[in-house]
Amino acid sequence: MLTSLKSWVRPDTFHAVLNERSVRWYNACLRITRDADLAADAVQEALLKAWDRRDEFRGKSELDTWIHRIALNSAIDLMRRRRPQALEESLDTEYLMAANSPHGEYVQEALSRDLITAMQRLTTIERQTFVLKHIEGWRLEEIAESLQTNANNTKQALFRAVRKLRVDLHVWRGES
Amino acid sequence: MISDDDLLLYYYRDGLDATERARVATALAKQPELAQRLHRLVAQLDTAAELPDVPVPAHIQQRWQGALMARSRARPSFRWQALAATVALMAILFTVWVSMKPAPEQIADQPSPTSPQAAGAPPETVAYERGLRWHLANTEQRLAKLDTAQPDERARLVEAIIEQNRMYALAADRANEPQLARVLRAFTPILESLTDERRETSAGDIAQLSFELRVMQARLKAAADPSTPAQPIAL
Repeated sequence: MLTSLKSWVRPDTFHAVLNERSVRWYNACLRITRDADLAADAVQEALLKAWDRRDEFRGKSELDTWIHRIALNSAIDLMRRRRPQALEESLDTEYLMAANSPHGEYVQEALSRDLITAMQRLTTIERQTFVLKHIEGWRLEEIAESLQTNANNTKQALFRAVRKLRVDLHVWRGES
Repeated sequence: MISDDDLLLYYYRDGLDATERARVATALAKQPELAQRLHRLVAQLDTAAELPDVPVPAHIQQRWQGALMARSRARPSFRWQALAATVALMAILFTVWVSMKPAPEQIADQPSPTSPQAAGAPPETVAYERGLRWHLANTEQRLAKLDTAQPDERARLVEAIIEQNRMYALAADRANEPQLARVLRAFTPILESLTDERRETSAGDIAQLSFELRVMQARLKAAADPSTPAQPIAL
């Protein structure tokens, strides 16, 4: 145990986890903030916190889960502090570039556009609630705590988000 | 009638109480069209979650790596630093504490508290030595609590130790024990570092304290040797 712990706290191991998992952390934060700079800041905050507590982690999985979670909370905090509505377009451009790139061939451009449009129609709390619930799998109480609201408001935000998304994306499920 | 909202919460296994969950489960079992509705709902939501991952821009990756490198160069993590300082302090205190205890042969030779020799010792000296032993033991106990204490509690504990240390260092001066006074005062910067995350306890400070302790131990050993002339301090 001690040997694995010692090797675990080595900076190069930590950097290896960063290289391996950072895309996932960054994209999770992007979905919350819709802003590349905020997402990068959120991940950086989580990384530095994890570095300061690196002796507490018992493996890559624990570190990954912890950073992912802290990064999402940081993203929500940063959104709350800076509220960068004016910058929301930047994320959309970034997603479209990804969809059009050779690496994004598997995603149809039209679906991406519709998804972006659908996400744009959501309010911040609706989008964050949907992402945290449906994609990240958080409990409603956890979402409520993180968004500084109550469970009922969270539930209602989720219902509204789902209704809007279903209206905007129904063509992709072959529905009229 | 089961609403889509209820179906959604049922799917998430979150937000419905046991009775509501049982009601939805029963309805799903009895009504295939309801099960289809749930299936469509989940499929739609999964589509909504299909935004592609974007790569992390190279400059952001470099920024993260740089921030981590800067942090790793800046200082060891506070927990390790605090642990190292605490261990060093406890070792020092233990050494002082042990050195103050009389050896078994000294105990055998020691007069009883009611003996004329003990009775002849100035009462303030007896009280001072008893108090110092209590302080060292008490400090050991407080240091042991530091690692698990919250920052506020840790600051309060350290402040109390520093204040008592200051008093006993003054008392040691008055008792003509300058070496003990110096060691007690040398604790202060290390103790302060335990509450200040920005400050680093240097290995040099701790090494210097350890060196001084070894010198004191050597002197104590010499003082305990009956062939050497008696020394004024029983540290």
